[in-house]
Amino acid sequence: MLWRDNYELGVPVIDAQHKELFRRVESFLQVLRSADNWEEKVNKINETLDFMKMYVVEHFRDEEEYQKSIGYPGYEKHKQLHIGMVEYVQEFCKQYEESNNSEQLMQQFGGRLLAWLINHVAAEDQRIADYAIKKGMSGNGR
Amino acid sequence: MVDKIYRTFVDATQNVFNLMLNISDISDHPAENFNCDSEIDIAIGVIGDLQGEVVYRFPASTSINMVKLMSGMQFDEVDAFVTSAISEIANIISGNVLTALSGSDLTCDILPPVQTKIDEQKEYDIKTSCCISTTIGAICLEIRLNKAA
Repeated sequence: MLWRDNYELGVPVIDAQHKELFRRVESFLQVLRSADNWEEKVNKINETLDFMKMYVVEHFRDEEEYQKSIGYPGYEKHKQLHIGMVEYVQEFCKQYEESNNSEQLMQQFGGRLLAWLINHVAAEDQRIADYAIKKGMSGNGR
Repeated sequence: MVDKIYRTFVDATQNVFNLMLNISDISDHPAENFNCDSEIDIAIGVIGDLQGEVVYRFPASTSINMVKLMSGMQFDEVDAFVTSAISEIANIISGNVLTALSGSDLTCDILPPVQTKIDEQKEYDIKTSCCISTTIGAICLEIRLNKAA
């Protein structure tokens, strides 16, 4: 299972979205890494990627709204991390289309997405939670 | 300066292993000889007040173990997915090092990770290596930097 309890930040609204994001990334990776041949799974991969792209943007927007609502001082810096990832995904999708659905490119994308997501949640987002909890705004009484 | 750079890289690597892989049993020592049967070398270029590169040497077994731990999935060989995941980890460690160094008035930036082969011939002002040992295997960092003129 991709999600680990130590990724939990103690801010219910963010934790719920992170769990959902991890669940979606996990199903994406399971299809990507399955033993089926590429032609058999490429349509499902493309559908999942399209859906995940929308979900990631939505999650980033909600997370940024939450940061603003608690007056998080690292808001601008954190937003730049989101923008950087969205730009990478857009650039990747362009290259992937131009490559006519290259499996090699998609495997590279999957590896980077996995490491980026875990670092982002385990390290970067932890700073938001630390601030919220310090200010008594985490919403769970921690 | 060499000691400070060395320590900053070691601390950043330990921190990333701890946060991302939940591994806290980590030790380091200068790497005079780092040999393994099969490895992937990932270079992160450095520009700014320091210029050069840091090469992360990931043995195949360590790379596979890292990705298994992160994903909870089975991996048997180093492929494009594994190489990309460990390249991103090298990128994350290097980014954290630059953030730490910026507190010491060293302003640098990093270039995207590339798979490389180490060039032993080049000379650098700062040239040091460290081996970081963990419960899932070791990695070696070859730090090769010049101070900007």
